[in-house]
Amino acid sequence: MIAIRGLRKSFGSARVLHGIDLDIGDGEVVALIGRSGCGKTTLLRCINFLEEYDAGEIRLDGEPLWYRATPGGSRQRVAEADARRQRQQMGIVFQQYNLFPHMTVLDNVLLGPRFSQRVSAAEADQLGRRLLARVGLEAKMGAYPAQLSGGQQQRVAIARALAMRPKVLLLDEITSALDPELVGEVEDVIRSLLSERIMMVIVTHALRFAREVAHRIAYLSDGAILEVGAPAEVLDRPKDPSLKEFLRHVR
Amino acid sequence: MIPPGSLALLAQGAAISLLLAAAAIVGGTALAIVLAAGAFSRIMAVRAAYRVYVYVVRGTPLLVLALLLFYAMPALDLRTGPYIAGTLVLIIYTGALFAEVFRGGVLAIPRPQWESARSLGLPPLAMFRKIVAPLVTRYTLPPYINVCVMTVKASSVLSIISVWELTLAAREIIERTFAVFTILGLAAVFYFVMCFGIDRLGRRLERHLALKGFAEARA
Repeated sequence: MIAIRGLRKSFGSARVLHGIDLDIGDGEVVALIGRSGCGKTTLLRCINFLEEYDAGEIRLDGEPLWYRATPGGSRQRVAEADARRQRQQMGIVFQQYNLFPHMTVLDNVLLGPRFSQRVSAAEADQLGRRLLARVGLEAKMGAYPAQLSGGQQQRVAIARALAMRPKVLLLDEITSALDPELVGEVEDVIRSLLSERIMMVIVTHALRFAREVAHRIAYLSDGAILEVGAPAEVLDRPKDPSLKEFLRHVR
Repeated sequence: MIPPGSLALLAQGAAISLLLAAAAIVGGTALAIVLAAGAFSRIMAVRAAYRVYVYVVRGTPLLVLALLLFYAMPALDLRTGPYIAGTLVLIIYTGALFAEVFRGGVLAIPRPQWESARSLGLPPLAMFRKIVAPLVTRYTLPPYINVCVMTVKASSVLSIISVWELTLAAREIIERTFAVFTILGLAAVFYFVMCFGIDRLGRRLERHLALKGFAEARA
């Protein structure tokens, strides 16, 4: 499980996260919703340390991530090698897919297992093919990213994230850049993962999808979680006035 | 009229020019990779050293650098001939130019590509081999070839420190025969052919490395 305690972050004088507490249980899917600029993407990026944070603690299965306390009472970044190892326990999928343009689809998926986890070439190849079959793109194995549609690229990106056998999958608005007719194929892949009981943190504007797949929804506003609970509670019986307002606007 | 025997001499000179340029390109590229890595070092002193190197070398005429090294090496009790000094000067010079080309290439890697690579937990060597080097190669091929072509022509400067190459060969023939325009014209043709060859090679490499699926601009 992931335990986030007292997470704070500022960009200069702008405070983007102040005091986030959030637990994600094993096999749990949590959706983060809120207006643009509310801090949900920043929170997601803090979890795998694409963003540094100013204070607070993130633990994965009890292990403190990214920083360790010094005897003096302050904190220090963990060594690069430790950070790399910690990152390998998480997969992230970005809004813009971010596949490596100079590699085939299969090589994109293989890269992590092969060079971060030192899996043998044959084993990595097998894993890559299996994952691509899983996202329905076995036939595109030898293609290059720019030869694929957005939906296909995003499915490859999901396979790439899964190839590390992560404990948690971080999804950052993964359907926001897609043409409407391509959203379904990507959402289907995520649905198919629900039976795996892998932890997921999903930043999304698609409330219908969040309601369907998430066990809990957290509503962020101005860098704080104002409401968190089961989808039916948060979406149908919101208590916070700004959440009520937000839901009126997105519907 | 072409003075007898001069074509063969010029061809020999051209071969040496090409050899000098090749050594400079190979050595300069290796040096530039190290330099460009320094440009992105976490240590401020290393980044500062990079800037000083590039500014000084790029801001000094090659001719002055060549003379300086040619006279400095014996003074440092390094008994090397003009060929070693000349090759070194070319490497030092192209190293600075290539380093800036590579630095530009690294800066051109989009931030999301870095983030993707980081999120996979790739170790530094794999990051370099699999992501940075292939992307930078593709981004920087045209300016890289530019410097290569320039290096062939810049090698003519070494004639001043008595490196016998195409330009010195031409000057020697001219002193003997006074066929100034014929010989200089021929030398120019030799230089052009070498540069043109590198240009063609560069184009072929570009086509070979073109990212599949992108609209490829062909000029």
